[in-house]
Amino acid sequence: MQLQRTLTRSRKADLMTELVQTVSGLLLVGFLWTHMLFVGSILLGVEAFNRLAQFMEQFRLLDVAVVFIILTAGAHVAAVFRRIPGRWQEQKIVWKHAKTIKHADTWSWLFQAVTGSAMLVLIIIHVFIVVYAGINAKLSADRVHSWMLGFYIVLLLLAEYHASVGLYRALVKWGVVKRKSLKKVLTFITVCTIGLGLVSLWLFLSLGDSV
Amino acid sequence: MSRFDSFTSDVVIVGAGLAGERAAIEAASQGLDVILLSLVPPRRSHSSAAQGGMQASLGNSAMGEGDSADVHFADTVKGSDWGCDQDVARLFAETAPVAVRQMAFWGVPWNRVVAGKRMYDGKEIQEDAEKEGLIAARNFGGTAKWRTCYTADGTGHTLLYTMDSVVIKLGITVHDRTEVLSLIHDGIRCSGVVARCLRTGKLRVYTAKSTVIATGGYGRVYGASTNAIINEGSGMFVALETGKVPLGNMEAVQFHPTGIVPSWILITEGARGDGGYLLDKDHHRFMPDYEPNKKELASRDVVSRRIMQHIRKGYGVESPYGAHVWLDIRHLGAKHINTNLREIANISRNFTGIDPIHDLIPVRPTQHYSMGGIRTHIDGMAYGLEGLFALGEAACWDLHGFNRLGGNSLAETVVAGMIVGDKIANYTKEASLHVSSSLIEDHVKFQEDRIDAFIHQRNGKENVYQLRREMERILSEHVGIFRSEEALTKAVGQLHELHQRSHHVGLRSGGQGGDPELASALRITGMIRLAYCIAAGALARQESRGSHFREDYPKRDDGKWLKRTLAYWPVGAGEPVLEYEPVKITELPPGDRGYGEASTQAVKAKS
Amino acid sequence: MNPRQLTFHILRYNPDTPKQAPTMQTFELQEEMGMTLFIALNKIREEQDPSLKFDFVCRAGICGSCGMLINGRPTLACRTLTKDLPRDISLMPLPVFKLLGDLSVDTGTWFRDVSLRTEAWIHTEKVFEPKAQEERMDNETALNIYEVERCIECGCCIGGCATANIKPDFIGAAGVNRVSRFMIDPRDERDEQQYFDVVGSEDGIFGCIGLMACDDNCPIGIPLQGQLAYVRRKMAVAGWKR
Repeated sequence: MQLQRTLTRSRKADLMTELVQTVSGLLLVGFLWTHMLFVGSILLGVEAFNRLAQFMEQFRLLDVAVVFIILTAGAHVAAVFRRIPGRWQEQKIVWKHAKTIKHADTWSWLFQAVTGSAMLVLIIIHVFIVVYAGINAKLSADRVHSWMLGFYIVLLLLAEYHASVGLYRALVKWGVVKRKSLKKVLTFITVCTIGLGLVSLWLFLSLGDSV
Repeated sequence: MSRFDSFTSDVVIVGAGLAGERAAIEAASQGLDVILLSLVPPRRSHSSAAQGGMQASLGNSAMGEGDSADVHFADTVKGSDWGCDQDVARLFAETAPVAVRQMAFWGVPWNRVVAGKRMYDGKEIQEDAEKEGLIAARNFGGTAKWRTCYTADGTGHTLLYTMDSVVIKLGITVHDRTEVLSLIHDGIRCSGVVARCLRTGKLRVYTAKSTVIATGGYGRVYGASTNAIINEGSGMFVALETGKVPLGNMEAVQFHPTGIVPSWILITEGARGDGGYLLDKDHHRFMPDYEPNKKELASRDVVSRRIMQHIRKGYGVESPYGAHVWLDIRHLGAKHINTNLREIANISRNFTGIDPIHDLIPVRPTQHYSMGGIRTHIDGMAYGLEGLFALGEAACWDLHGFNRLGGNSLAETVVAGMIVGDKIANYTKEASLHVSSSLIEDHVKFQEDRIDAFIHQRNGKENVYQLRREMERILSEHVGIFRSEEALTKAVGQLHELHQRSHHVGLRSGGQGGDPELASALRITGMIRLAYCIAAGALARQESRGSHFREDYPKRDDGKWLKRTLAYWPVGAGEPVLEYEPVKITELPPGDRGYGEASTQAVKAKS
Repeated sequence: MNPRQLTFHILRYNPDTPKQAPTMQTFELQEEMGMTLFIALNKIREEQDPSLKFDFVCRAGICGSCGMLINGRPTLACRTLTKDLPRDISLMPLPVFKLLGDLSVDTGTWFRDVSLRTEAWIHTEKVFEPKAQEERMDNETALNIYEVERCIECGCCIGGCATANIKPDFIGAAGVNRVSRFMIDPRDERDEQQYFDVVGSEDGIFGCIGLMACDDNCPIGIPLQGQLAYVRRKMAVAGWKR
């Protein structure tokens, strides 16, 4: 043991970071899926969607959600940041490694890291817009009816992929699960939520046409 | 940069398998400075491959009830066909239970007794509730009682990993990837070794008060052997090449009845111990025809010979790799095969593509163990040189005589490690290191010259790999299970010539750094000398004893041959010189060699 | 059926000439019945290039010496049959471990270091009594220990692990698995806090990011995913209590 290490023994920190990463990740998955259900309320009609939005504004749930997302996502980003190879050589090693061993779960982690980094930017924009403009069906429809349609489709795919792979990994790391069956279940859920998101987007798109 | 690296310690041990490590632990815990040398990382040693078990007369299992050191002793002596040293066998049998318990204390997860009834080979066995949780034993060939302690199918593995964990805990120095080239000696005393680093190719000198050889067997001089490829007998031939130290009973070579065809990987006796059958080409279980009582579990040499005999009668299954018989474990069931015999199942699946749950396993007797080795006194010190010790398979301590019982080799490594390790420690504490630098210089210079000659092809261009194949072929063809004057004479003649040719090896690779071809070249002459000692000893011994079976002398001849062969190789000689010494009989006079049942009666008669 | 002509692409590297970058050298070899990579590599060395370095010891899948990347996949060469591989076979040494030349890597030193750091031996205050009967143990417990103890330290889980590839101090699945062997052994008197000191960090279980290449590539099928999760949960509880 070196001097600097004996003087600063804080072996709990690694566990805590790990816990923050896992718990925040799980919360974010929960948030994302709830969020998608709420957005999906457009399937029940414009009326239902707007009423839900008003309800949230009325009880300041939107603010709560925004604060929650900033804190949780912030914690998540801070915790997982240590996992991303920082040095250029490490980056090269990791990519070469994945190409060499041709192992699906290793590739999925690299995509997880890439989608996570990309989402960081997209989510900031998304949250900013929502906070600035508020929520109602018309606003959404207008946005979707512009170049931003692409933005939402990309965000939807990235978020669902990242959530699915992240949840998979958390359960594999902590739980007693069969990986094959877990993969099947999660793929099913992800396809459903992506489907729900796409249908919602399509509805907003057609709304944008009509309004 | 210096020409070679130097290390000094109290004890230098060559070989970090079970025997070497156990001796190292004993010496180190008595306060001595120990260096272990090993060809490979210690946990890769061939000890790890012993699947079956370790004999010790704990008598916890129902079928081991009434077992004692006396019965174990009697089994061992009979198994050896009265070729063993009875003092050694007695000491061994008394110590084995302590050794097993100590290994349990250090962490070996021995299988334990589970109370209750179960079926075995059509009989019901009732395990005693009072013994629940004590170390269990399984059935093994040639034993009167169930005495073989085991951890599922990985006994050697768990023993070695546990032993090595103690070595690590004690902080014993290990230099792996180091190969010994010669012993430093002045004709009276051994003072260490010259070695070569297999990473860099650099020479090293290890000087020590005691030098210990624990390098295991020489199986690889035979082509078809169950041994690991590192089992090339280097410890034995560096001792032989001193001209002072004899090898004992080299003609005593054990063939394991069940090497898998054609990779010759061992299928453990556990397969038969747990109730497996041997079948011929007509799927007939033939062992009961020859050995009605012990059937598949007669002594290894007996089973091996019966298989070959049956094949010679025309009942073998023909294959491109020669005739073989079948091992059948299908009736033991998928659950038993996948847990207790998992290693066997894996070997069958991975190396031959056979699933033993549904298919028969092709097997044939295969070279397996060398009872012979560096002849030592009962305290483990080698004949001929002071300060040189040997133990384990590399030694002829003489626990096994002319046939070793299954489960006695793992037991020997650990027990000899305890006993000889203690003797080494005692000797070393009193000894002092006197070695002149010119002696060291001579030994190093000798090896440097050899290496230089190989690299520059100074003595010729003989291909080392071709010589090896030749040697393997000669032994396999002429010095196998059934031996005769004609074949052995041929073998001796051919080996004599091969030995001469081995002086003319030249490298094709350049021999720089840790070059593998150079390593082979440095070994080849020594290996051929071992082969020569085996063939010459077998030719001279005009009787049949244990695993040594002469078709022209099919009977044991105690009148002429109740003696041990000592093979010397005088420096510069072209062939070995054979001498003999009497075998000490203390308790059990030579008798008819029964298996199992007979030895219990002998003990009863004695008491 | 005509025997196939196999093409081996083997990484060549000599540590004595470090300036020479590793290259892939090609060897042609005719396939034989029941040919394993053990047989193939020895043939290449004996007939084509006697300087080729690789490690085999038991050649029976027991000793763990011959781990290498076979067409990218970390596994044991001795029990890989050529008939299960395509005509083109690429062989590279395992990453992470020190490269000793060509296909030979120094797994021994790496594992010894991990054993030392994790104190992988039975810790007990008791003294062995040669005359006493052994302590009893449930056979189920013995079998459970053995199940984990089976690790042959071949290093396939380490070479296949992205984390181990970039973090030199990470003990990997084999290291964590070894510690778990002592956790379930009643003879080891260490408490959970002592184990936490050994594996409760980024270099131990919390360095694992769950890629599970270890679990997918373990040649002898140790349930590494389960062992890693078991240690993770146990260490989380232990750490929480500090």
